[in-house]
Amino acid sequence: MLRALAIALAISVAAAVPADAQASRTSKKLFVVTTTTDLHDIAHAVGGNRIDAIHISEGYQDPHFVEAKPSFILRLRKADVFAYVGLDLEVGWMSLLVDGARNSKIRPGGSGNLDVSRVIPVLDQARGKVDRSQGDVHPLGNPHYWLDAGNGRRIARLFRDRFSRLDPGGAAVYAENTRQFEARLSAAERAWAPLLARIKGKPVVAWHTSWKYLAQYTGMNIIGFMEPKPGVPPSPAHLTGLIGTIRRTGAKVIVMEPFYDRKMADFVAARSGAKVLILPPSVGGVRAVRDYIGLLRYDIEQLANAL
Amino acid sequence: MKSAAATIALLCVAVTVDAQVRPVSPRDSAARADSIARADSIALVRELEALQRTEEDTTVPPPMTPGPPTVSSRLLPDISAIGDVVGDFSPSGSTIEGGRRFEIREVELALGAAVDPFFRADFILGISDLEGIAVEEAYVTALALPWQLLAKVGRFHMPIGKQNTTHRPELQTVEYPHVIQRFLGPEGGKGTGLWFSRIFAPFGFYQELQATVVDHLGEAEEGEELEATEPSNKRIGGLGYSARLRNYWDLSESANLEVSASGATSRRTQPILCAGAPACPGVEGIPGINARQSLIGADVTFRWRPLQRGLYKSFILQGEYMRQLNESDPPVPAEFGVATEFVGPRRNVSGAYVFTRYQLTRRTHLGGRFDWIGEDDSGDAGSLRAASAYLQFFPSEFSKLVASYERLMPGGGGDRVNRILLQMTFAVGPHRPHPF
Repeated sequence: MLRALAIALAISVAAAVPADAQASRTSKKLFVVTTTTDLHDIAHAVGGNRIDAIHISEGYQDPHFVEAKPSFILRLRKADVFAYVGLDLEVGWMSLLVDGARNSKIRPGGSGNLDVSRVIPVLDQARGKVDRSQGDVHPLGNPHYWLDAGNGRRIARLFRDRFSRLDPGGAAVYAENTRQFEARLSAAERAWAPLLARIKGKPVVAWHTSWKYLAQYTGMNIIGFMEPKPGVPPSPAHLTGLIGTIRRTGAKVIVMEPFYDRKMADFVAARSGAKVLILPPSVGGVRAVRDYIGLLRYDIEQLANAL
Repeated sequence: MKSAAATIALLCVAVTVDAQVRPVSPRDSAARADSIARADSIALVRELEALQRTEEDTTVPPPMTPGPPTVSSRLLPDISAIGDVVGDFSPSGSTIEGGRRFEIREVELALGAAVDPFFRADFILGISDLEGIAVEEAYVTALALPWQLLAKVGRFHMPIGKQNTTHRPELQTVEYPHVIQRFLGPEGGKGTGLWFSRIFAPFGFYQELQATVVDHLGEAEEGEELEATEPSNKRIGGLGYSARLRNYWDLSESANLEVSASGATSRRTQPILCAGAPACPGVEGIPGINARQSLIGADVTFRWRPLQRGLYKSFILQGEYMRQLNESDPPVPAEFGVATEFVGPRRNVSGAYVFTRYQLTRRTHLGGRFDWIGEDDSGDAGSLRAASAYLQFFPSEFSKLVASYERLMPGGGGDRVNRILLQMTFAVGPHRPHPF
């Protein structure tokens, strides 16, 4: 039995060597792996046909809770660039994948390790004592920053610079692609500017703190959260207080992600007169949202219509 | 002498004051400039710094702490602790180790950090009333090896079977499956030595080969007080060796399957009798000889977690089979001058379990397990069987309550035992990765 096991292991290892050699990339495209669909879309817009890009989480999935599947490790081991949101958004699973991939390029300090949050003006950076009594807090700041068009530009420029460093021959292409991306984004912003005027200052309730950047961008006023503390499901006492707050402020909308159970939001809505609005927080969160600019447009349109 | 001491004291004060009030030196400025030059998007970084300066000037309230963390505090390792408290409400008396009704079974203290760009170090200390302080794991991981190799040096959970690689407080049940407790120890099997791993995908799916060479199998040899005529690790062949081949498939975006095989072998000290007694001439302790003991096994894990509803719904079905192979007739030395008899395990023994868990709500899971261990040499006429059910409640990611009922059916006509266990685990410190 032991001998059979040893033979099976030896065959697997022997088979692995030529296959791995075959699997080595023949093209010179940068292989980019991102943790989220939003980073993936912006990377694709900047990299164009000079990169191959894939993402790990899906837009309709809570990015805090992604399973560290070994199949992701296979993708990461050949990555030239690994771009992640940072600020501990992926803390529950990313280190298992990066360690498992054995790819020195994407390890911290490696040429392909790209913590996108480094160029973001971060909200909610913890000050003073931080502990878990405050919920599942992110001490480094709120990581849901992509829902602000200004941060979308910063992300694109970061990709442009990193891709240009790793692939100097494509620098002009990356610069031009970034310029076009920003032009498209600016055009979209001009188009939805009237909608922002309808949203500005309107009170809303959000499920999680993930909508703070969108609130900053649109000017909507988040007057309360369904979660009493980040990551903590709502209690009856909290919901009772929240219903009172909604009635007092006249908030019309409870904004939430598609991956949360809407029963409690419906409960609050039924007793407060507000409406539950499920918005995609990321590209692919609903079928209609296929790119980053489309994500912002969809969320802004939905909010404007609901408010 | 006094003047020398005064001079040193003055120097110390001067250095301290200098460190406190010294402006940024040209050398620091150069280092910072170099750091920025290496950063991406210099303009972006500067823009961000300008934004932060503006915020601090106008809108940001003063921090409650004296100031930003110092360089030395940033270099501290991640420190976390897990408490594991068990209560035993079994009707026929306590069934947990030590015989207590309530037990702080273990406090697990973990420290981890990068040693340098090439190594990462992890230390996990287990503290309990029964065992005091024990080094559960302590290893350095080599992260920069060629050929996509990963290596550990130190003490680690042996990669034998599926659940043995999980720390006990992080198990989805209160205790390890019986087969792991019997073959590898109640706290799982650990080893001290070298650990290697390589991943590959020759057939298009994930495969990983893990191999170890350790001083001996298990954290401490089962019969540590046994005294053999020579150490079990005297010869290279007497060390512990293990190999594990993991195979993983994504069946869909929500479902996946892992099928793995493990094998391990080592020479272990087993008891002998001299002239019918557990004492031999010239041996101070309990006499023993080294006999080969091997373990082979296979495990299957099916997981289902729909991506969009993954916070609320998930399902696991897992099974492991292990077979312990014992050297039936090891040569007994004749040096004692009396008749000797090997009384260690001679027969091969098999064991297995099937475990399942279904997530009822965001914070509640219901699980069950069936354990079986075949007949061994203990003289029991039958095999051990056990069936257990679990209800888990997670107030948050960092705390867990488990209520467990187990019907234990030992072989050989032993009394059946009903076990009712309650467990609470709680963790403080940085967020650790979720086990997969």
